[in-house]
Amino acid sequence: MVCVALAAGVLHGPSWGWAVVALGCVWALIRQTRALRDLTASLDSIAEHPLPEVSGVVGQLVVRLGRRLRHEGRLRSAVEGELRSFRVAMDAIPDGLVVIDGQHQIVWANRAAGAHLGIHLPGDQGTIIEQLVRTPGFAEYLSGSGDQPPFIFQPSAALPRTYSIRMIALGERERLLASADVTEARRVEAMRSAFVANVSHELRTPLTVVHGFLEHLSDHQAMTVEERQHFVRLMSDQTRRMLSLVDDLLTLSRLESDDVPASNETVDMAELLAQLLAEGRGLSEGRHRIEVRCDGPGLRGSLGELHSAFGNLVSNAVRYTPAGGAIQISWLVREGQGIFSVSDSGMGIAAEHLPRITERFYRVDRGRSRETGGTGLGLAIVKHILLRHQADLQIDSQVGTGSTFTARIPSWRLSPARQDQCDRDRAD
Amino acid sequence: MNDHLSRQFDLELENIRTRILQMGGLVEKQILAAIEGFSTGNVEQMQEVIRADREVDGYELGIDEDCTLLIARRQPAARDLRLVMAISRIVTDLERCGDKAAKIANKSRKIHRAGGQRTPRLSDVQQVGHLAIQMLHGALDSLARMDAEAARKVIGEDKAIDAAFNAILRQLVTYMMEDPRTISEALDIIWIAKAIERVGDHATNIAENVIYIVSGVDVRHSSAAPAVRREP
Repeated sequence: MVCVALAAGVLHGPSWGWAVVALGCVWALIRQTRALRDLTASLDSIAEHPLPEVSGVVGQLVVRLGRRLRHEGRLRSAVEGELRSFRVAMDAIPDGLVVIDGQHQIVWANRAAGAHLGIHLPGDQGTIIEQLVRTPGFAEYLSGSGDQPPFIFQPSAALPRTYSIRMIALGERERLLASADVTEARRVEAMRSAFVANVSHELRTPLTVVHGFLEHLSDHQAMTVEERQHFVRLMSDQTRRMLSLVDDLLTLSRLESDDVPASNETVDMAELLAQLLAEGRGLSEGRHRIEVRCDGPGLRGSLGELHSAFGNLVSNAVRYTPAGGAIQISWLVREGQGIFSVSDSGMGIAAEHLPRITERFYRVDRGRSRETGGTGLGLAIVKHILLRHQADLQIDSQVGTGSTFTARIPSWRLSPARQDQCDRDRAD
Repeated sequence: MNDHLSRQFDLELENIRTRILQMGGLVEKQILAAIEGFSTGNVEQMQEVIRADREVDGYELGIDEDCTLLIARRQPAARDLRLVMAISRIVTDLERCGDKAAKIANKSRKIHRAGGQRTPRLSDVQQVGHLAIQMLHGALDSLARMDAEAARKVIGEDKAIDAAFNAILRQLVTYMMEDPRTISEALDIIWIAKAIERVGDHATNIAENVIYIVSGVDVRHSSAAPAVRREP
């Protein structure tokens, strides 16, 4: 431009030269202004429009600005990525976490909070937490100081789970609520204390009886022989009960503390079933119709333990089936699994008892089961033995119709060789 | 909802909503405790339910008073007015639910005091009771979230409770015909089942009120007459 101006000045006189200079300046000014305007416009909608390409000072500005924007973009996506992985981590935490502000409005919550407290983001953001967690006492807990013991509650009637909530102050006004599922912990705690109480009670009852008889014997020296015999018989019944209880307790504790897996000796199921049938008939004394159906191979496992587990199921069936009922013991293979089942036409078990029936001393009807001579530990022992054989126990029952106890034994514990013997037994 | 509760009016309104939902939580617990008491025969629990009904009544009086004051002082309009009107109706429904809980506790106390159970229908009553509590819970949730869709779902659930109630009724009638000694107890159980069924109806009323707040449409008795849209 300067060259053009000089040439114009030399050729047409200085005024032409100045005119060219002035024109050039105006032109440059217009260009730069336009570039600035474009830049401003593109800054307004930076997502859709790329930065304009211009030269000169503004061009430099655009280049620097572009560099800066790219740098910030990278930073932002890094932060977003971190935030995302933080959210993912927070959602993976099994404890429910909720942040509330000074007015108890929900600021943020993780996924577990949905299951524990019924808070689901983003819909519940801004809702006052007491409107969603309405359990009486919770509002008082929230307005408390925070050094109180955790708030324990059950959110739903249909799903009996227990949660504990702790409140932790975050800064001036915000607070973090942490909820944890304490169902199991509370159940175990309750079971432990119930166990001690039960053992003491179960031992105390026969002891009281024996003690009473002994006192009676020492007070009344003059007693007929029949009376004396009657007393001794009753006392020996009670001591036998205590013995079987202690035996069961010992079995249970041995099963529990034994870390060695169940042995792998081959169990002849045909023989075992025949033995179970004989025992069952002995216990029943002809009051029930007991049948055996053996249609499966031998088993690899501990004979003593399996005998005890299956025997428990059979004796339960005999005890809880009224006279004249039918009991079927069967052993077969279904879908590759060994299925041992004992079905009876007994009184059945109400649905609410089923989940707890394998607990120690859990009884559907206290008086009745002691009458029939149970220790209350049978099914607990069965469950433990089956666990040691990687098998599980399934109970189907209907009140008034009968129950079926089924042990499902994994395929690798079946030994294929013994089929023929089983068939022979069936023919008997 | 997402903005901060800055205005005093909003705060007062939210306060009433929080209180009625708290009252709902108490009523829910009352019904649950009453049904549990019925199943377990825990007389202390039943007594506690009957005693705590006063608390529910206290809530009702307080919330009613607050609604009246709010209308008088703030003259709410549109959705806010609908909210206040609906809340003063919901409060009545909740109070009735509380009465039902006390009634269930009262009748089960009578059954268990009279001695052993003759009719083995415990688990059915418990089940329908849990259904009713779930419905009430759903209705209160829809009120907390102002969720008309959830409210509609709650209204749909009432059919299941009615069906379960009828099944219990039929069963009990059979028992009474078989053995007249069960009549007095069976009648008490019918009262309990009926109370539970009424809780389901009150939950439906609450859900209908939520739809009214959100959309301005009165869906009460909507099967009898077409709903009239009254958007102020």
